[in-house]
Amino acid sequence: MATEVILPRLGQGMESGTIVRWLKSEGETVERGEPLFELDTDKVTQEVEAEASGVLLRIAVAEGEVPVGRTVAFIGAEGEDVPEVAEPVAEAVPEAEAPVEASNRLLQAEAQPWIERRSRPEPGAAANGRIKASPLARRMARERGLDLAAIHGTGPDGRIVAEDVERAEAGGEAPPASNRLLQAPVPAGEVERRPLSNVRKTIARRLTQAWQVPVFQLQASADMTRVNALVAKLREREPELRVTVTDVLTKVCAAALVRHREVNAEWTDEAILLHPSANVGIAVAAPQGLVVPVIRGAERLSLAEIATLRTDLVARARENRLRAEDLDGGTFTLSNLGMYAVESFTAVLNPPQAAIVAVGATEERVVPVGGELAVRPMLTLVVTFDHRAVDGAPAAAFLRAVKEGLEEPGLAL
Amino acid sequence: MPELTYREAVRDALVQAMREDEDVFVVGEDIAEMGGSMGVTAGMVDEFGPERVRNAPISEMAIAGAAIGAALQGMRPVAEIMYEDFLTLATEQIVNQAAKHRYMSGGQVSVPVVFRTQGGAGWSPGAQHAQQLEAWFVHIPGLKVVFASTPEDVRGLLWSSIYDDNPVVFFEHRTLYPIKGEVPEEIEPIPLGRARVHREGADVTVIATGRLVHESLKAAEEAEGDGISVEVVDPRTLQPLDEETLVASVKKTNRAVVAHEAVTRMGFGAEVAAVLQYQAFDWLDAPIERVGARFAPLAFAPVMEAFVVPHAEDVLAAIKRTVGKE
Repeated sequence: MATEVILPRLGQGMESGTIVRWLKSEGETVERGEPLFELDTDKVTQEVEAEASGVLLRIAVAEGEVPVGRTVAFIGAEGEDVPEVAEPVAEAVPEAEAPVEASNRLLQAEAQPWIERRSRPEPGAAANGRIKASPLARRMARERGLDLAAIHGTGPDGRIVAEDVERAEAGGEAPPASNRLLQAPVPAGEVERRPLSNVRKTIARRLTQAWQVPVFQLQASADMTRVNALVAKLREREPELRVTVTDVLTKVCAAALVRHREVNAEWTDEAILLHPSANVGIAVAAPQGLVVPVIRGAERLSLAEIATLRTDLVARARENRLRAEDLDGGTFTLSNLGMYAVESFTAVLNPPQAAIVAVGATEERVVPVGGELAVRPMLTLVVTFDHRAVDGAPAAAFLRAVKEGLEEPGLAL
Repeated sequence: MPELTYREAVRDALVQAMREDEDVFVVGEDIAEMGGSMGVTAGMVDEFGPERVRNAPISEMAIAGAAIGAALQGMRPVAEIMYEDFLTLATEQIVNQAAKHRYMSGGQVSVPVVFRTQGGAGWSPGAQHAQQLEAWFVHIPGLKVVFASTPEDVRGLLWSSIYDDNPVVFFEHRTLYPIKGEVPEEIEPIPLGRARVHREGADVTVIATGRLVHESLKAAEEAEGDGISVEVVDPRTLQPLDEETLVASVKKTNRAVVAHEAVTRMGFGAEVAAVLQYQAFDWLDAPIERVGARFAPLAFAPVMEAFVVPHAEDVLAAIKRTVGKE
C-alpha cells in the first residue's frame, strides 16, 4: 500500500502552502527524513522531509498552492499502483502565471461591446483570499478546468454561481475595472511588475491589520556607555560568539517585559492575555522580505545563549531557511535600524503583540552630565503600544525599565 | 373522477376501511353524535354504532393509551386527537409506548395505530389551538409521520397508515378541510415515504408541507411571471422521508426552498436542508432557504397571526433570493 505524502501544517493558522519545487523526481528512491520538496508558506520556505522510505511513485501536485492535508504525492514499492487524486487546480489561489492569462482575457474582452462590462458587482475573490463560489460553481469549474480566481461572481455578495462559470467558459468574461487599469498596455521596460509572494502578502495583511489598532508611542534615549563596554568585553573574551547590542537589547527588554507583564500582552475581544514569558521577535530584513524570528524565554537566557540563537536565526532568515516554528509565539518585537544610521523611528505593531520597540543608531551626542557637557553614546528607543491593552503609565514604566537596564545592564542580567 | 373535499376524503378513507375490516374503529372526543370538532366523522356513528365510533372522555392520554392497547391486541384503531396542541397530553403514550413496543418486544408485538390530528393557523384559534408540532414526532424512532395536503393524498395516505403495522402520527391541516379535489373512483393506497411532485420546474425546488404546498404553488405561479421556473414537491410522509425524490429534484434545479407553517427554527425543514446539503452539495448554486413561522407563540389577532405564519409572498421572496433576483 503506497504511503500518501500529505501537505503538512507547519504552524498555527497555516491553511495552505505553495509547493515551490520537488527535490526528488518520480521513480527516485527516497529515504525517510530526506528532503522531498520545498514548501512556501505565508511565513517561510521550508524543505519538507519524507515520512516514509521507498520509491516516489507519483507527484500529484507538481507545484502551486495546496490546502493543508491534501495528498501531494505517493511513496511506495517499485511498480506499485497509486490511487487517483484530483488535481487541486480549480481551487488554487491565483498564482504567478495568472496575469498572463488575465491579459489574454482582457484581449478577448476588448472585442466585446463596452456595454457588457458596465457595473460589474464585486469580484468573487474575497479580500482574505477565500473565493466565494457556490458548491455547484466549484464543481463545474473543477470539471471544466477553469480557475475560479479568474471568474467574476454575480451572485449575492459577489458569489460565483453556475451562470458565471458558464459565462466564463463561453469566453464572455470581462475583468473588473480595476484590473483593466493595472493591465493597461505600457511601454516595455518602464514598470517592473513583481507578483506578490506569500511573504509579501502576509506582511501587507498583518500591517494593514496593525494599522487599525489605536496605538501610541513613547520615546526615550539611553546612555549606552556601559552596554558598549559590556559588549566589548564579551567580544574580547569570546570572540567567536559576536555578542551585539541587539542581544543586550533583547535581554534588557525581556527582563523589563517580565517585570511589566501588561506590556508582554495580547489584546483579544474577550480578554487581555498576559504572557508568562518574554518571547522576543527580532525583525530581520531577509531577501524575501521582513521576517521576525523569535527568541523564546529570553528573560531566562544568558547573553551568550541569546547571541548564539540570534546568530543562527538571522543567518537562516537571510538564506530563507527559517522553519515555521522559528516564527511562532512572539510576544514582543524588536526592530533595529541602527546599522543604517537612522536616529529614531516608529515601528508598526506586529499583531497580536501589544508592543514593538524601534531602535535607532547609537551615536555620540552632547548631553549634560552632572552640570557639565559630556559626549556620550546615546541610543533612542521609540516603543509603539497597543492602547487597547496597555495604558500610558505602565507603558512608561516599562520603557523606563528598559532605559535603566541599558544604562545599568547589570540590573537586567 | 369524483371530487371530494379534504374533510370528505378523510371520512371516506375511515368509512371504507371500517366497512371492509372489523378491526378498524375510531375513538376520540365528541366524534360520535357531534361528528368531531371539525366534522370529519359526521354521520359515521349512524352507520357503525357507538362501539366502533367511540366517544372518549376528555383525556388524550386515555384515548392514546386505549388505542395502543387495542392495537397491541391486533385491532387497527384510529384515534382522533382533537387539536395537535393536545398531542402534548398524549405524548407519553405515543413516544414512550407506541413507538417502543415493537422494538422492545423484539418484534413479538406490533402497534398498528393511527393518531389523527389537525392544527394550523389562519382562523384565529390562538396560541394553544393552532400549532404545527410535526417536528416533535419526526424525531422519534419508531413513529411514522404523515402530513397530507390534498384530498387525494389524504385519503390514500390515511388508508396506508391504517394498514401500516407501525404507529403513525397523521397530521391534517385545519384550513385544508374545505378544499376540493379530484380523487380516484376507488381508493388508491399511497405508499408511505413517497413524495409527490406537484409542479415541475427548472430553476428552484420548493419542498413544502401542508398548507404551504398550496402557498408554494401560488408563489410558483407568480415566480413564473418573473421568468423563474419553480418545482414544487410535497414529501407527504415526513418520516420516512423520500430523500431520493427531494435530492433528485434539487440536483436538477440546483436551488432549494423548504417551506412549512411550523416554526422555522429546529423545524422539519432544517432536517430537509441538512439532507439536501449533504447529498446534493456539489449541485447547490445558492444557500438553501427556509420558510416557516416566526419564533413566537401564535397570536390571536388575525393581523398578528398572519404576521407570524408564512404565506405565498414569503415563499416567493425566498425563491427570488435563491436565484439572486431579490
